[in-house]
Formats: sequence, structure tokens, C-alpha cells
Amino acid sequence: MPTLKLYVGIWLGLIAIVGIETILAFSGLSSGLLLASLLLLAIVEAGIALRYFMHLKYEPPALAWTLIPAIVFALLMMNQVWPDARRLVSLHFP
Amino acid sequence: MMLEPSPIGAVQTKKFVMWLFIIADAATFGAILFGYGYLRVGSLNWTRPFAFSPSIINALVMTVVLLTSSLTMLIAVSAAQKGKKSDAVRWLGATILLGVVFAALHLREWASLMGEGWSLSANPMGGSTLVGATFFGITGLHLLHVISGVIAIGVITVGFNRGRWDASYVETTGLYWHFVDLVWMFVFPLVYLLNAHA
Repeated sequence: MPTLKLYVGIWLGLIAIVGIETILAFSGLSSGLLLASLLLLAIVEAGIALRYFMHLKYEPPALAWTLIPAIVFALLMMNQVWPDARRLVSLHFP
Repeated sequence: MMLEPSPIGAVQTKKFVMWLFIIADAATFGAILFGYGYLRVGSLNWTRPFAFSPSIINALVMTVVLLTSSLTMLIAVSAAQKGKKSDAVRWLGATILLGVVFAALHLREWASLMGEGWSLSANPMGGSTLVGATFFGITGLHLLHVISGVIAIGVITVGFNRGRWDASYVETTGLYWHFVDLVWMFVFPLVYLLNAHA
């Protein structure tokens, strides 16, 4: 099982990622690049939290294989809303 | 006594059930965040309400408080599993305190925004009213989870201290608390940072 030293290291790492996210938000990146960067960092943070804070790294692999693909699939399927969201803009009253 | 075997090998049934809840709740938060993205992409007059000071600084403090509460929860679970009851109770108490601080900071921020005229259906900046609707909707759902978590940890702490429940209950409650933290890892950048203005 992980040690307190590892937990504190991960905690500091997560705070560092939050700091990087904040710097990026005020660095003048384009909206698309900023969104992609923030999402990537949030996914990295979530992965670290799942593996170490929620102990998926130390559980039988069958647990992660049962759970994670299901939620990833559900979230990927939600991406079909974007074409309709862009269509909404053209439906506004002039 | 016959114990029902866990469907996932050596994983306790109650832990597995908590994981199933977490996955379902993750889909809920995923849907509400996708809904926010959908409305934002589809709005012509979206406004960004958050200045670095005080809004983003307040959200940063909230983030650090919540991350720290995950650390204290990990220490509590570790102490409970080693049979150090008083240490576990103390760290669970610290987790509850940090959860209360997070909720208090959040409610103070809400009060401040409402004082400026923000609500579910009003935008004092003159843009889309969906800004307030999505902000209060998403952060409200998360705050509800935080408050529920604080209550759950309080109940588990009392039960564990009295010897009614063992360390596995503390660990299962910890899973929920870390999930609340995990959700905030998406709420902070998507709802706060993407709505920040220079």
C-alpha cells in the first residue's frame, strides 16, 4: 500500500497542476487551445486521483476494467451533441 | 454466517456498490457538464463573469481546501486500517472541517454573486442568462455532494468511534469523498477558468 510520503507528493503534484491550469487561463491562449489544455490536465488529475487516492492501482484489475470503459463510453457518446450546439447559433432570431 | 461473494474477486461488495454509484454519478456530472458546453457553444452572447481577484483566487483556495481534505481522508483511512482509532477519528474530523470550510467559501461566493445581481435567470452583465443557470446548477449539484459527504463522514466517524463499524466503512466513505474531489478537478477549469476574464 502507498506511504504517507507518496500521498503528500501526489497532493503537491495535484496542486501544481491546478496552478498550471490557472496560469494557462490567463496566458492569452486561444479558446480552443485553452479548452484542450485544461481538459487534458483535468484528465491527468482525474487519472492520478483514481489510481492513488481511490486506490484503483491496488485493486484487482477486473474492477477498473468493469467500471472505467463503461463511463468512458458514456462520456464519448455524449459528444454527439456538438453539431447540434453549433446549429443552435444559426437558429437565433436576428 | 454465509457471506455473499463479491462479483469482482477480492473487492468487498459494499466497496463495489460504492464504485457503481460513483460511475453512475460520474455520468450525471458528465451529462451536466456536456449540457453546459452545449448551451455555451450554442449561445451568441456568453459573458465571462470571473475576475482573477477575488473570484479565481477564491476558487483556487476552495480547490486547495478540497484537495487537502482528500489527503486528510487518506490518512484517516490508513489509520483506521492500522487500528489506530483515535488517529482515524481525528483525521476524519479534519476532513469534515475542511469540507465545511469549502462549503462556507462556496456559499460566501454565491452570496457575493447574488449581491451583484446574478441568479439562475439573471445576468447583470447583460449577456446570456444561461451563464448564471449553468454556474449555479453545476456548482450547486457539486455543493450538494460536498454537504452530503460531510454528513456521511460525520455519521461514519461516530459509528467507527463507537466500534459499530470497521475500517472498511471508512474506506468506502473515503471513495465517495475522493470522487467529490475528482469532480471538482473538472468543475474548476471548465466552470471557473473558462469563465475568467483578464
